[in-house]
Amino acid sequence: MTDLAVKHRNPVRWFVLAALVVLLLLLVGPLLVIAVNAVKSPADYAANGPLSIPGSLYWDGIVDFWNRVNFGQKLWNSFVTALVVAVLGVVLSILNAYALGIGRVKGRVWFLVFFLVANLLPQEVLVYPLYYISKEAGLYDSLFAIIIIFTVIQSAFGTYLLTSVYTEFPRELLDAASVDGAGKWRTLWRVVVPVSGPTLAVLFTFFFIWTWNEFFLPLVFLVSNDNQTVPVALGVLQGDRMMDATTTSASALIGILPAILFFLIFQRTLTRGIAAGAIK
Amino acid sequence: MLRSRSGLAAGALLLAATLGLTACGSDDSSTEGADAKSLTLWHYEGPNSAMGIAWNKAIELFKASHPGVEVKFEEKGFEQIQQNAQMILNSDSAPDILEYNKGNATAGLLSKQGLLTDLSDEFTKRGWDKKLSSSLQTTAKYDEDGIMGNGKVFGVPNYGEFVTVYYNKKMFDQYKLAVPTSFDEFTKVMDTFVQNKVTPLAVGGAEYPAQQIFYELALSKSDRAFVNDYQLYTNKVDFKGPQFTYGAQTFADWVSKGYIGKDSAGIKAEDMGVSFTQGKFPILISGSWWYGRFASEIKDFEWGTFLFPGNTLHPGSSGNLWVVPEKSKAKSLAYDFIDITMSPEVQALLGNSGGVPVAADASAITDPKNKELVETFNKISTSDGLAFYPDWPAPGYYDVLVAGTQGLINGSKTPDAFLDEIAKPYDQNRSDLGK
Repeated sequence: MTDLAVKHRNPVRWFVLAALVVLLLLLVGPLLVIAVNAVKSPADYAANGPLSIPGSLYWDGIVDFWNRVNFGQKLWNSFVTALVVAVLGVVLSILNAYALGIGRVKGRVWFLVFFLVANLLPQEVLVYPLYYISKEAGLYDSLFAIIIIFTVIQSAFGTYLLTSVYTEFPRELLDAASVDGAGKWRTLWRVVVPVSGPTLAVLFTFFFIWTWNEFFLPLVFLVSNDNQTVPVALGVLQGDRMMDATTTSASALIGILPAILFFLIFQRTLTRGIAAGAIK
Repeated sequence: MLRSRSGLAAGALLLAATLGLTACGSDDSSTEGADAKSLTLWHYEGPNSAMGIAWNKAIELFKASHPGVEVKFEEKGFEQIQQNAQMILNSDSAPDILEYNKGNATAGLLSKQGLLTDLSDEFTKRGWDKKLSSSLQTTAKYDEDGIMGNGKVFGVPNYGEFVTVYYNKKMFDQYKLAVPTSFDEFTKVMDTFVQNKVTPLAVGGAEYPAQQIFYELALSKSDRAFVNDYQLYTNKVDFKGPQFTYGAQTFADWVSKGYIGKDSAGIKAEDMGVSFTQGKFPILISGSWWYGRFASEIKDFEWGTFLFPGNTLHPGSSGNLWVVPEKSKAKSLAYDFIDITMSPEVQALLGNSGGVPVAADASAITDPKNKELVETFNKISTSDGLAFYPDWPAPGYYDVLVAGTQGLINGSKTPDAFLDEIAKPYDQNRSDLGK
């Protein structure tokens, strides 16, 4: 690089940095407001408004909300649902994508179009059919309904994505496996899955977080309080005309913490998975 | 793979088990009525709200008078009930009794679809008809088209609400102002504030508060016949008639005189309430639903309420209803529960907790401020002064009125254009109903 370019780069760098800081504040700002109001007493909020710094830390909002909705159980429901959906969704995606991407089934383009369309359908369209089917099957107001529905919805996306990854799968590896005498089944689990591990980890993480954050279908299908997931439980605070700002903030805070934690834990898999995809 | 296969098998087993369980559940439904062993009850009021406190007490009383019956109470979100009531009430997961929104688009719609139990017999047998004034009964009755006002009784309200004027005593004292008793005095009070560079009214133009002020102004020139024409479609309403013309014109005047801040078009109801509790505005015109919250949260100044001066009609109605789903497995227990919520004890507790009971003896209310609120409500309710809310007549009308009053506040619409705009969807709905 010439000297001129270096000279030009410095002010640009500062500009980029400033822009990033502004962007960061925009992103973190709402979270900060939530955090600030979560530990503010209602009287403090009433007297000083939402943007003031709380005079003293007030944990009752969080504790009250936790007990009021039996939050521990909601966490467990959400965790089980999201985990099962993530695992089943990935397995289903692998099987589908193996057939479509590597097996090159006849009419696979149409399969892919089908999955893409299924993926684009808004959930509101699906509600009534799903409602009647689950009612007939006795699964209305049951976590099974949610697990089955989201396994299918997530794996539709997973199949679409994974198929395009598997279409590019190195043929040499597959040929080598078949020369060594591995059948289709062995090839899948011993060769294809380990090699595409990083991508699968990304899928798993996304499925987990997406299912965790789902609101609409759980709201419709999980009628009893005992079956509800975290986002539905947060809805309890939504009153007719009244809004309890401090408790709502408290609930929002403990509602997003698990998702943030999960994201932090799996952040490395995510970056690795995306990087792995990039090399291919 | 073996593992996930056995997982599938376990899933299938569990699925079969749940199928079996629900099958058993539906067998039980034949034992309907008084001998049911449990009462599933839903409502969406917060545990610290007046209704939450009173209904908790009602559950206790119910347990005491019905030993051996298990009460399964679940607190629901407003949104969940609002979105899914049709689906839930059509399934075996329907509760035995629940709180539901009054109005044509909500309770009316469900009653039309046959999802609610007709309570007419119980209504007279248990004397609820005597406890509720006629304007409160309006929201309890729905005809075959699901239009409120006449027909069968499908719900029973426990509490009422009305729009009133909240004022900050500290700021009134600061400018040596007395509580206005006439409309002229009221405008003089607001003039004084404007002269001292204080915007008098806290208004949330982005939500319901602005349209309620417009309606309150229109009501000052109206009578009961006009309200019935407008709300129940008894006769054709002329939007360019004296009532609405006065309402729209005066609202626009209030903006130009500075009573209503130009920036209030974008303010939400919640922010309006907070700005009043912060002492930024001396006056707030809104519903009694703020009362309990102001009572517990305003610490820095004294405040009080007075009715909108000069009006005999005020926006207001019964609160939400207790309804009994058609699929309820314990209907007679549900009636017993409603009866308990209407009892003097529970009604008095509702009033003492900052709510507005529908059938309380004001002398049973101990807190002087709450007593004043309850007395005011009883006065309006018995003199047939509840005029409901402006957005009730047509579905989606709420948004029309919000957009319209926002136009009046920021001056983008003349009162005349505003009236044209809000007349159109109203007339459309009227002709859809074939009235």
